This record gives sequence, C-alpha cells and structure tokens, in this order.
Amino acid sequence: MRDNLAAETVLGSDMDALLLRSLQGYVIDTFGAARWQMVCRRAELSILSFEPMLRYDPGSADRIGRIAAEVLGRPVEAIWEDVGTHLVTNPDREGIRRLLRFGGVTFADFLYSLEDLPGRARLAMPDLELPDVTVDEVGEDRFELRCQSHLGATQRVLVGLLTAMADDYGALCLIEAESADCTSILVLDRRHAKARRFDLAPPER
Amino acid sequence: MQTLHFEDRIELDSAASAQFMPMHLLLDAEGRAISYGPTLARVLQADAVPGARFEDLFEVRSPGGAVTIGQVLARGGNRFRLLPRNGLRVGLRGLGQSLSGSGRILLNLSFGIDLIAAVRDLALTDADFAATDLAMELLYMAEANAAVTRELRGLNLRLEGARMAAEEEAMTDPLTGLRNRRAADLVLERLCAARAAFGLLHMDLDFFKAVNDTLGHAAGDFVLSNVGRILREQLRAEDCAARIGGDEFVVILAGRTEPKMLQMIAERIIARISQPMEFEGQICKVSASIGIVRSLDLAVPDPVQLLAAADRALYAAKHAGRSRAVLLVTRGE
Repeated sequence: MRDNLAAETVLGSDMDALLLRSLQGYVIDTFGAARWQMVCRRAELSILSFEPMLRYDPGSADRIGRIAAEVLGRPVEAIWEDVGTHLVTNPDREGIRRLLRFGGVTFADFLYSLEDLPGRARLAMPDLELPDVTVDEVGEDRFELRCQSHLGATQRVLVGLLTAMADDYGALCLIEAESADCTSILVLDRRHAKARRFDLAPPER
Repeated sequence: MQTLHFEDRIELDSAASAQFMPMHLLLDAEGRAISYGPTLARVLQADAVPGARFEDLFEVRSPGGAVTIGQVLARGGNRFRLLPRNGLRVGLRGLGQSLSGSGRILLNLSFGIDLIAAVRDLALTDADFAATDLAMELLYMAEANAAVTRELRGLNLRLEGARMAAEEEAMTDPLTGLRNRRAADLVLERLCAARAAFGLLHMDLDFFKAVNDTLGHAAGDFVLSNVGRILREQLRAEDCAARIGGDEFVVILAGRTEPKMLQMIAERIIARISQPMEFEGQICKVSASIGIVRSLDLAVPDPVQLLAAADRALYAAKHAGRSRAVLLVTRGE
C-alpha cells in the first residue's frame, strides 16, 4: 500500500508541474503577466513561475486552475481546453507540435501513437511519469480515448490538444469529454483541409 | 548441422520490395545495378541508373580492401559499410546475399546513426522508410532529448539567477541599499587573506539619536537612507560600503593607503553628511565621526584586529569633538 502511495505521489507531481507550467504560459501569452500575478497572489503562492522539471503537490494544478477560472471569469474546463490548444498552436512551443506529429502520417495514426506517449516521454526523461492512455476504434472513424489521471485538468487539456492536432492534420473532428476518463473522437472528414507542413528534420535554430 | 527448409519461396514484386526494403539494391552477377529501392535512389540521386557498377556507386569502408561487391561478400560475410561516391556525407550499413539460381545479388542498406543528417540533407519523409523501421523513433528521441536539454539549461539559468538574487539580498542592507555586516566581513576576510592593501573607515553618525528621539523613526530611516546614497556617490565601484549596525558604517577603500587621500575622502563624506537634510518640512541635522586604519599598518592583516583598531580611531575622533576623522597608525602592534 505504502509503495502504491509513493508511486501515486511521484506520478501526480510530474503532471502537476507540466500542467501548471502550461497554464502559466497560456495565461501570460493570452491575458498578460499582470493577470498571472493576480492568479499567483490569490492562490497565496510564494512564487510567480512554475518549473516544468520540478515537482509540485499532487492536485495543485487543479487548485490553481480553479483560481485562474475565478480571476479570468471563465469556466475552468474551457480554460484547460484552451491550455491544450495553446500547447500545440503557440509558436514558442513548436517543439511540442513536432513531437506529436512524429506520431504518424494520418490523424488516426496520431491517435494510436498517444498510447506510446508515456513510453516515448520516458526515452527522453527516464523518471517522467505520464498517465497511461488507451485508444480504441469503436466504429468507423469513431475513437474512444481513455486516460486515468488524478487531475481533472488532464482530460480537458487532452481535448484541447486533440482539437488543435486534428486541425494540424487537416481533419474535421467532433471531440467531446464523455465521462471523467473517456474522450470520444468522431472524425467527420479526414481531409477537410490541407495538413500543416511537417518536415522530419528539425527547423534550423 | 540442421538445414532449414522453406516450403514457400519469398517472392516480392517491385512495389512490395519498395515497401519492404526502400533502400535495397539488386545487382546482376557481375555487380551491375538492375533496380534501386526508392529511398536509395534518393540517396544516390543522378548516379542511380540501371547498369551502374557497384564500385562506381560506393566506396567500401569495410571490409577493408574490398572494392567490388564480389570482394565485399567474400571478405565480410554479408555485412558491410559503404559511403556513396556522390559526395553525400551519409554512411550506409548493409547486408548482402547472392540469390540462388539467378546469381543476382540483393543488398539491403540502412542509414545507421547518419539518419538525422540524411533526413535533413535529402528532405526525407516517413513515406521513405519501411513501416518496421525505427527511424521515426530515433528522430523523435533526438528532438525530445534536445527539448529536455534546452528545458534543463533554462531551469539552470533561472535557478542560478534566483540564487544570485538571493545572495545579493542576503548581502544587502535593505534600508540604505549598502552592503550589510555579513558582506563587509566577507570582503575584509578576502582582502586580508590576499594581503591586499586597503584603507578602512569606521563611521558613526553624530546626533542621530536626537533625530530619532525628536522627529521619530521615519526621520531616522530617512537620514540613514540619505547617508547610504551619499556613500554610494562618494565611492568607486571597487570600494565597499556597509551598514553594520544602527548608525554604524564601514567603508573599505580598495588599494587606498595614502594617509592624505584617506583623510580627504573621510572629510568629504563628513562634509556631505553634515549638510542639513529636510524630512517632511523638518530639518534633520546630523554629522559623522570616522576612524581610519590601513591594512599595511598590521604585520599580518586580520579583520578582527583591523576593526578593533578602526574602532579605537573612531573613539579618538569622537573624543576630539566629533565631526572629524582620525587616522590611527598602529605600526608595531
């Protein structure tokens, strides 16, 4: 039991750090640094910046997310979905879009590749724990993505991220949170628009 | 020794072999090209023509000494390393086998670690690799590693910045913006250990208690922060001014040991501090007494002894009627 608890704590804190940093980037880029400082003050934080490589208390991402929702006057679900979209579309974070595009040539390939994501992440950072993801094709162009996370934010970030990636692949999709750990993806048109260009070689820096 | 018997011969048409082995090369028994996999054709570019000889297409890196494909297969078993002769800086590894019956030779090549350069130089896409190839995973890992390294470097810089800010804060007196006691002790220790020549001023404000008692602490704080500004203006960057107690200051003048020069600096500071300061319509009048010592006057410079000597000089200045500076020569101690 004790070991399980320890594993939970480690798992939780990695996701919390990544989501908090993403939330911070989204709020600062979209609403300005002053609003982010308001969030930090109202959360009674002693810091103004989260580090993606450090660890924070499990559950803190959901807590700060609720405070950001109060400060910004928007539902917390919408904020986390926007954070997911911002992760993929924000030019400063081009690296994340690129890493996700390595998942496959088509949007369906990409969806299946999400199952490999925790393993791929561990290649780069052996102690990074991302929640397990399973993807099932439940009908023609209908997928269900299941992800169990201690954070409510995770699913909403996934919804936003999937929506942005569908756009990147040029697919028209209906993506909805079905239940706490299940997201449904209905692909309406696989070639709705031209996919954004993706070169295997990294852009020159 | 056991022999394996395959019931089925493997037959691949050109479309299937292009998919299964996009970097294959089929040679006739004399080593002339019959067909190229599509990705190998992109590597060889204009060289990829039917009938081209193996040795004109590739320089053999291993097995050493081999030039023709016959020599390669004879010396190296069936593993080898090649470099295309068209100048592309991409090493290739491969496997070759004579096919029974026709005598044709099938080579299947791969990029190895030069994959990343090949992808960049040839603008390859995932369609250029077999579905079983781990090329995508290798490219993914290279980028993921670069991203993690960038993030860690950023974290290091931010932590270093925070550490420096914290250190600066731990060394600074917030009221005057001067250094604090701890910082002054460190500077003294460092200079003494290096046997550096310097002058040390120990300063105490005169009539400060009267300002505090009659005009209040806010006026006292105003005077102290003014003194901080005066000291910063009068000193060079390499000097160190610190508030070490309530209205007690230490100034370390790097490289200055000339008695006249030290006396002049001290008197200039006293003159500035003695000018009336106005706080919320009230005039605050303070002055300062300064004791001066020189590191040279001790046989072995030592922070404790220097401060004690400076304190005695300060006492002498106060005793002599305040608003003055006294240089104490302690030679022989």
